[in-house]
Amino acid sequence: MSMILERGFIFWGLFLVSAATIVGYWLWMRYEEDGG
Amino acid sequence: MQLLIFAAYFALVFGIGWYSLQATSNEEDYWIAGGKLGWAVGGATLAATHTSAGTFIGTIGIIHTVGWSFGWLVLSIPFAYWFVAAVLAPRFTRERELTLPAFIGRRYYSKAARSVAAVIVLVATVVFIQAQVVAGGLVANIVFGLPTTTGMVLFTVVLILYTIVGGMIAVAYTDFLQLIVMFIGAAVSLPLALRHLDGLGNMLAYAEAMNPVTFTWQGLPGPLLFTMGLAFMLGSVATPEKVIRLYAMKDMKTIRRGILFAIIIVTVVNLIVMLLAVGGMVFFPQLPTGDLAMPVIARTVLPTFIGGLMLAAITSAMMSTVDSLLIVAGSALSEDIYQTLFDPDASHERRLWIARIGIGVVGVAPLILLLSGVGEGELVQLIVLLFTALMASSFFMPVVGGVLWQGATREGAIAAMIGGVVACGLWEVYGSSIIDPVVPGFLVSAVLFFAVSLVTPRPPREALTPYFDEVSARGDRSTIDVTQG
Repeated sequence: MSMILERGFIFWGLFLVSAATIVGYWLWMRYEEDGG
Repeated sequence: MQLLIFAAYFALVFGIGWYSLQATSNEEDYWIAGGKLGWAVGGATLAATHTSAGTFIGTIGIIHTVGWSFGWLVLSIPFAYWFVAAVLAPRFTRERELTLPAFIGRRYYSKAARSVAAVIVLVATVVFIQAQVVAGGLVANIVFGLPTTTGMVLFTVVLILYTIVGGMIAVAYTDFLQLIVMFIGAAVSLPLALRHLDGLGNMLAYAEAMNPVTFTWQGLPGPLLFTMGLAFMLGSVATPEKVIRLYAMKDMKTIRRGILFAIIIVTVVNLIVMLLAVGGMVFFPQLPTGDLAMPVIARTVLPTFIGGLMLAAITSAMMSTVDSLLIVAGSALSEDIYQTLFDPDASHERRLWIARIGIGVVGVAPLILLLSGVGEGELVQLIVLLFTALMASSFFMPVVGGVLWQGATREGAIAAMIGGVVACGLWEVYGSSIIDPVVPGFLVSAVLFFAVSLVTPRPPREALTPYFDEVSARGDRSTIDVTQG
């Protein structure tokens, strides 16, 4: 079980965290452009 | 067929070079595309420069060897770029320069600091271009059956030609084209590779069966993974070919959008490429070097047309990085070394000629080194990492520290650049191999930067006014040319 979890995390986790970072950047950019 | 795709592709690249020659009327056009790039071309040139043979050959090579955990390094890219957009760019771009050493020269009121920076840029560039030339040779070998050496020579000649002719405008627009080719190549190859392997689930299961450490953290020692990530992050912030693109874009809004575009493209391309790498482990578990995985997949697994596109994509990735570095190295030679030290009154035409000769010299040097046996046989990604570590060790502190801390002095910056490079180089040769050389390099650089700055005379107001509101608000703007100090 823990092996499946590790594999799931190490593989899919990377996609999730990458997507979250891009969304985070986009939100920050909107905030900056609205004059903070 | 694959030859045709290559021919069409190169014809387009030369067309862009020719067009750019017409559009280049002064040095600002030649080095930073006149500072007029919009977010799409600006972001694309950043992304294309970032995506090198390191991605298409190197990342695949290393994942083939150590598994998926290496992929987590990809996260260092968005964070580094975010830092650039939020912290560095707003201050760094207040004065538009033509080169990174020119920034160093202005901020640190010193020709000596500028020259040291230029020499470091030159040396490191040669190391980096070597990695790309090796990969170019591999591709030529796989596609055309040429001897690797002939491939390396051809690759170098094509690159030098269009960079010399068109300068930064050519490089930025070629980068844009190359990015599109890269993206299409990678995006089309993935579903085809997956179909061959009966879907994603099966591919992952096969890969794990072939190499049990594929989806664990065991493929790479933890400290090495973490410190390599650090190298990428620090290096993505302060490498000269990236920061110079901040000067090439129109304004801060353009920079923020361009960087978002670059982050998305770089992340998506990297993820696709890494999935292809896992496919490569299944298709070809035994290869003499992991670096061969992608060219071999393109040649044998994909249909001819897509395979050709993929190989053109790999070539694009290499070329878009090397052309940018050639620009950086050429400008270091002509603007920062020749003009600053030997001939301050050189005419515009003369400087452009020196630049073009400089680009030729820097472009040929790696080839000569390789042909004489220096740096051959290394995994491409490892050479890329060494370059990144050298850049981060020398420039991160003087660039980032320079715009954030008024106390940073000329002496501190020079000590940080030299100390960082030396420490990084020594660690690479003598140090432990489970810690990336960026760690000692960066630490030595940071310590010297602060310690030497604190014990040397404070910088003159003129050097600080462009970058710090408080200083410019306090006194009238000076017109003294501080770079002559």
